[in-house]
Amino acid sequence: MTPILEITNLHASIDGNEILKGINLTIQPGEVHAVMGPNGSGKSTLASVLAGREEYTVTEGTVVFHGHDLLDMSPEDRAREGLFLAFQYPVEIPGVSTANFLKSAVNAQRAHRGLSPLEPAEFLALMKERMALVEMNPAFLQRSLNEGFSGGEKKRNEIFQMAMLEPTLAILDETDSGLDIDALRIVANGVNAQRTPHNGMIVITHYQRLLNYIVPDVVHVLWNGRIVRTGGKDLALTLEERGYDWIKTESSVEA
Amino acid sequence: MSVSAFTERIRSLAQHHDTAASEDAYAALRRHGFSAFERLSIPTPRHEEWKYTNVTSIFDGTLVIGATDAAQRPATSGAEITRALGADVIVLHVQNGRLQQDEHSVIEGVDLYDLRAGATTDDLQFLASIAKVDDHPFVALNTAVHDSTVVIHLHRNVHLERPIHVVCSADTTTSTQLHAPRVLVVAESGSSALIVESHHTVGEHAAVCVPVTEVVVQAGAHLQHVKIVADEGQGKHVGYTAATVARDATYASHVACLAGAFTRNDLVVQLIEPSASAILNGVSVLHGSEMADNHTVVDHRAPHCRSEELYKGVYDDRSVGVFNGKIFVQPHAQKTEAYQSSHALLLSDRARMNAKPQLEIWADDVKCSHGATTGQLNEEAVFYMQARGIDRAAAKALMTYAFAAEVVERFPHEGLRSLLEQHIAQKLEVSR
Repeated sequence: MTPILEITNLHASIDGNEILKGINLTIQPGEVHAVMGPNGSGKSTLASVLAGREEYTVTEGTVVFHGHDLLDMSPEDRAREGLFLAFQYPVEIPGVSTANFLKSAVNAQRAHRGLSPLEPAEFLALMKERMALVEMNPAFLQRSLNEGFSGGEKKRNEIFQMAMLEPTLAILDETDSGLDIDALRIVANGVNAQRTPHNGMIVITHYQRLLNYIVPDVVHVLWNGRIVRTGGKDLALTLEERGYDWIKTESSVEA
Repeated sequence: MSVSAFTERIRSLAQHHDTAASEDAYAALRRHGFSAFERLSIPTPRHEEWKYTNVTSIFDGTLVIGATDAAQRPATSGAEITRALGADVIVLHVQNGRLQQDEHSVIEGVDLYDLRAGATTDDLQFLASIAKVDDHPFVALNTAVHDSTVVIHLHRNVHLERPIHVVCSADTTTSTQLHAPRVLVVAESGSSALIVESHHTVGEHAAVCVPVTEVVVQAGAHLQHVKIVADEGQGKHVGYTAATVARDATYASHVACLAGAFTRNDLVVQLIEPSASAILNGVSVLHGSEMADNHTVVDHRAPHCRSEELYKGVYDDRSVGVFNGKIFVQPHAQKTEAYQSSHALLLSDRARMNAKPQLEIWADDVKCSHGATTGQLNEEAVFYMQARGIDRAAAKALMTYAFAAEVVERFPHEGLRSLLEQHIAQKLEVSR
């Protein structure tokens, strides 16, 4: 089986500071990987580098996405090839309605795959169906993207967009941050509904709480730019119990 | 110096005019224009109101002045706006400063005619009563050299359903041209209408347009006035619009500068009786070395009046925008509400914007606010769109379009809005 994603010895820096110091991570179809770790360990940097943020420089290593060199692609091509980043802080875009934005995004992806644009009625029906996954009101379609949305509404909108774009690899960057327990459950249900044997997910989170709802196959702990421990879902529970300090201590000893 | 040669030309025209003088009121008005222009002359950038917009370069001694009788070609850009206004639009063609219609027509309670020397209508009383000849160099110049005045007079309680399109164009195929369209709109009490004024040129030679539009909005009348400058040709524009708004009346001005090497719009709105209101919307979308300067004045002269102003501009390449927005609240204009905002989006490092809000408030019980911003596209938003598969150029165009469309949405007439939106969308694609 060809992996969806294969990260080998990835090093990345910003403004001359090395943040990722040799990441190795392979995701097979159908797998959900949780990436945990204390603040500043490099979790969001990993998400940013995979999505193609220009501020980061990859200094070493390779990332292969469905057999292609991911690092060679523009951010828009990564998205069109099936990579999706759910932003930790979704951006407000005044004047561009959620519906228009999604139409541009979906049709750009379809054009990339040699498909014709969806008919307006077809598209509207699809949007309404996918919004229901995260219990979003269709009235949001006509509102400017994320403008004046609450924190929970923004995160639900991210998962709705994911459902529209049907990515083969979704990276959820602290999707649980700022969510109350009800919103967390709705968002997690929306994510779980999208798990298939063919796609993969990277769930980046600080807390174990989200992983009660989105149950991972593999849990990685990131510390100081490296994956210092990998285990099953129980590792998340251990971290919840013992915190991150024991890992920091052990990995410093190893280093 | 080209300006002195130009002024000399105007002076010799005045002398010619003097010898042919009659006691006619119209002739007297024109003489007044000549003498005021001689005194005021073409302003230089040393003049505060003309600091960012150097008009001295466009007034050349070789400009052919005044209306001609040569056959004229219509501007296709004008026809496009006419079509957008629908089948029942009333069209008034003003070519090289002269209305292309001899008879005085009355359509659904609206008088439409050319007011010229020898005429004796009641509308003479309004002429030059709102745009003050002695105060502004280009009102003086227009008054001196204009051919006649296009009068649109709405009678009491007439609600004109049909839009009026005043197409001002110049044909410079055979020579340069200074043309001075003059329009007078009188909306009697309780009347309402939509008037669209647009400016165009065809031909290879230079054209300078110095139009003056005066608008009298009487008690309870509602007037929508759209002005479009979308000159892809050789035309340069130095225009002046002035309106007075009476009790319970509304004057809504919508200005679109969508193309043009040189555009200056002066807009002066006076709220002269209680509960009058004014709406001022403006949108500019420029690229290349285009320039648009909007100077607006809202003068609150009576209590309980309201004004709301929104100007937005998008500037790419080396284009330049100027916004100067004055709000005066006179001492007895209590309970005034006056809001102004101007926002500019710079798409290139070489584009420039000069914005200057100016509020002078002499009353103490008022609600006034102003805000001016100049910025660039939010890079985080561009990346967010890229991360959804939208390419960088399309992401920028979508956001830029949305920025400008916020103003266009406030314009009247659905057909007109979609035409302007289409123009803006095309221009943003082209400039990318």
